[in-house]
Amino acid sequence: MKHSLWVLSLAAVLPFTASAQDASREAREIIEAVNARNDGAYVSRDATFELTDRRGITRVEKTTGYRKYFGDEKRTVIFYTEPSNVRGTGFLTWDYPDIDAEDDQWLYLPALGKVRRISASDRGDYFLGTDLTYEEIKKENKIEIDDYNFSLLGESEVDGAAVVEIEAIPVNETVARELGYSRIVLSIDPQIQMSRHSEYWDVNGNRLKTIHNGNIEQIDGIWTVTEVNVINHKTDHRTRLLFENIDYETEVPDRTFNRQMLERGLR
Amino acid sequence: MQSNKVFSRLIRWRWPTLILSLLLFGAMVANAPKLTRDTSSDAFIDSQDPALLNRERVEDIFGLSDPIVVAVVNEGEDGIYNTGSLNLVAWLTDQMMRIENIDPDQVTSLGTESSITGTASGMDVDDFFETLPINESDVERIRNGVDNFPLYQGALVARNGKATVVVGELIDPDLATETYQQIMSLLEEAPVSAGDVLHVTGEGAVAAYLSTYVDNDASRLNPLAAVVITIILLLAFRTLRGTLLPNLIVLMTAGGTIGTMAALGVSFYVITNGLIVCMIGIAVADSVHIFSQYYEEIRKDPMADGRTVTERAMSAMWKPVTLTTLTTMAGFIALAFTTTMPPIYYFGVFGAWSVALAWLFSMTTLPALLSMLKPKQSPSFRAAPAQEATPDNLSARLMDRFGSLVVNQPLAVLIIGIIIAVCASAGAMFVVANEERIDSFREVEPIHIADRTINRLMDGTYYLDVMIETDQAEGLFEPAVLRQIDQTQRYLETLPNVGGSTSIVDYIKRMHQAINEDDPAYYSIPDNKALIAQLFLLYSASGDPADFEEEIDGERRLALIRANVSVNRYQDNAVLVERVTEHLADAYPVAGASATITGDLNVDFHWINGIVRSNLLSIVLCLAAVFIMASLLFRSVVAGMFATIPVSMAVLFVYAVMGVSGIWLGVSTSMFASIAIGLGVDFSIHTLHSMQEKVSAVKGSWNERLVTLYASTGRAQLFNFLAIALGFSVLMTSTVPPLVRFGALVGVAVASAFLAAMTLLPAMALVFKPEFLQQPRVEEK
Repeated sequence: MKHSLWVLSLAAVLPFTASAQDASREAREIIEAVNARNDGAYVSRDATFELTDRRGITRVEKTTGYRKYFGDEKRTVIFYTEPSNVRGTGFLTWDYPDIDAEDDQWLYLPALGKVRRISASDRGDYFLGTDLTYEEIKKENKIEIDDYNFSLLGESEVDGAAVVEIEAIPVNETVARELGYSRIVLSIDPQIQMSRHSEYWDVNGNRLKTIHNGNIEQIDGIWTVTEVNVINHKTDHRTRLLFENIDYETEVPDRTFNRQMLERGLR
Repeated sequence: MQSNKVFSRLIRWRWPTLILSLLLFGAMVANAPKLTRDTSSDAFIDSQDPALLNRERVEDIFGLSDPIVVAVVNEGEDGIYNTGSLNLVAWLTDQMMRIENIDPDQVTSLGTESSITGTASGMDVDDFFETLPINESDVERIRNGVDNFPLYQGALVARNGKATVVVGELIDPDLATETYQQIMSLLEEAPVSAGDVLHVTGEGAVAAYLSTYVDNDASRLNPLAAVVITIILLLAFRTLRGTLLPNLIVLMTAGGTIGTMAALGVSFYVITNGLIVCMIGIAVADSVHIFSQYYEEIRKDPMADGRTVTERAMSAMWKPVTLTTLTTMAGFIALAFTTTMPPIYYFGVFGAWSVALAWLFSMTTLPALLSMLKPKQSPSFRAAPAQEATPDNLSARLMDRFGSLVVNQPLAVLIIGIIIAVCASAGAMFVVANEERIDSFREVEPIHIADRTINRLMDGTYYLDVMIETDQAEGLFEPAVLRQIDQTQRYLETLPNVGGSTSIVDYIKRMHQAINEDDPAYYSIPDNKALIAQLFLLYSASGDPADFEEEIDGERRLALIRANVSVNRYQDNAVLVERVTEHLADAYPVAGASATITGDLNVDFHWINGIVRSNLLSIVLCLAAVFIMASLLFRSVVAGMFATIPVSMAVLFVYAVMGVSGIWLGVSTSMFASIAIGLGVDFSIHTLHSMQEKVSAVKGSWNERLVTLYASTGRAQLFNFLAIALGFSVLMTSTVPPLVRFGALVGVAVASAFLAAMTLLPAMALVFKPEFLQQPRVEEK
């Protein structure tokens, strides 16, 4: 009797296990597709950062920047253009594909007139006072696939587009601590292979933040987010990121990403 | 209408009376479950207090909160710079992040922070705990990192290296006590190494925990006070009814009052516990006097039935009981209208309300029930008729002898009274107005030890803040403003108990040095406005977006200077607040920037200052209320003065005991004098009323007439005094210092009011023979 019950319960569980595995494989495939999305060999663009604090006071910073792939290595430079007293302040980053190699970062303060090397930030650190982390800025709407276990939650709709909801749980606690998350739910639009909306929970499971890609358009044939809204639910701090003058066509010269150019700064 | 007619009618309708009074009680007490507890310390401050509003504004702008602080202390030679202590810090940091009510992103310790080092080519930002410290060189690296970063010294690690802290921000500050207790139990399993000692503190936790600490002990002791009072009643009357019925009146009064508070949405505060004890005392007093008279009537006429005896007892007692009710109410109402603290305001209002309820139930429920019971003599009252030489009862004999002594030497009694009053006044001169929250905990309490230890080793866990406000956005980029902020910090650091200070200037100077190869010459404020703006950007870009909120606002218009202070004591705060206020008035405005003093210490100083200042006024008004009420009731100003003298003595004694034993006049002790007046005035009024009766009713010399009051009213007063004094003395067994003081001082107050009423009033009557005592009783005209 006992034996037959055991068999029965096993029979009941098996189909679920199988379908859960399928769902997880399917989720992973969707993420792979997202990561395979073309984002251009190079791009130049202007970005506006609207940083709003708990009291509703907004600070606006404007930058102009470039990004280019050098093989698997990615180099980025941004210069502040506004407010005027920080105009010309620049950050140059070389991201190496090797996960163990520390990225290189340089800073240029025009009032000092010198380029300074600064040690790389941690992946979970916030990027230039925004509510996005270095990891999120660096990945540009892609996801490091080895960091998470994925599962399929279901289908939904964001801004009128059909999306697939995928839950991402860090593979272990070290990764969770590094990234600052215990759970992410991504709403991915399979049509454009991009997340339209994502929710984040901190390492203790408190609701942390929401990233909403408010405006997505095709520029030079490449799906591009032109407006990002982030709300940190714990601090009530908000970030609105607007991209303009996006250009994937005009080639960005290699020398844009060296220290001399950082020092020469904005022309 | 004559009083006996009122009561004969009431007794005729005793069932409806009883049912109505019980229904009224039921209607009130039904609300009791709605009662909310508010044990927060902010509840003591008027929510419209300018210093509080100012602090709240600053807290809002800079996103400040009271964190919980765990300190690792190692007083060995190398302090916390050993692998054991540092790994303990790592363990604690990790565990703190897992506590539900702690924001894992807002835990700060050596385990989460980085050191910034300027190098020839730039700036290195390295986590102190890049890897867990396993050998000497890791320890050295961490020590050098801290040594090179002035901002961490005294704040994150003790300047002498003997302690370091793990600081956690609470998600819900209202759960501070629970979080504190969670951390305390967490520490039991901490991997401590040789020499490591752990402590937990934090202003929010201390304040919240204090309230629960007091509250728990009071909730435990209040019922015990009721038990003690019951025992006194049993000893006094030696009958079941004389023991149980007063308890019923106490229950109805307390239940009715609590129910009314709940119905009106008033919270149960920490000090409302004091009101419970007062209610017990007040309700018992009315019952004791009515029962004494009841048994007196049975003794005089053992054959009379229950109705008649009750009617006679009530006719005799309704007036003094009503008089004491009105005077006590006057005292409580005066307390309500002179206090600056909401909990004490409600203490006064509901104190008065409970007195009224005790009166109502003593006038209705009690006689209705008594009249239903068959009169039975009390063993304590079995004696020859009153007029005969000496009663056989011990307490009555004692009071009678005491009375003879007083009435035979009235002048001597008065002179002794004056001498004692002069001595008490001298003692009262020593009273010091002071308050220190941590002092409310016993010295052996972990939270007390933690506060003392952490504040001895670190820069201080209490804050005095200065807010700098410039006239336009980015006003903080002005070098002159930053230099003045710097000077203000240097000034703050010269003040007593200030261990250190922080502001945006410290970060700007550190950044300036770091981008210049760590050359100490650059630990300064740049003259170049653009460079300052760029350093601000660098600083803001280096943390999470809400991190730097604690020093500057989003517009770069406001900045906060935070001074770490190691002591939060009223007298010390008074000096700090005065000197900082003076400095700010002299040094600002500068380049369009103004400065305001704020922070917890400033709030604490202002509200305690308000209490201290209003204390004298409160006492004078309470005494005046008693005086006016007694003058009106006895229709004589002289009677008003008579009534006021014993309570004035009680107040004087409370202060004398405080002065001599070094008890500070602070938040809780400030209301003791008013409670002394409220509870003590009963003794004056009963004595006066009884004297009036004896003088007009009894024949013989004034001496002969007055001495008779001792065996009757005097004995009732003795029981009343014993019940209240012993009831309150239960609080002295508490482990909570404020409750011990409360119990002791109210005991002193009641004892001195009782003694003064029983000695000074008859003595004064004999010496001055005032007219009001010779008037026939008013209501019987």
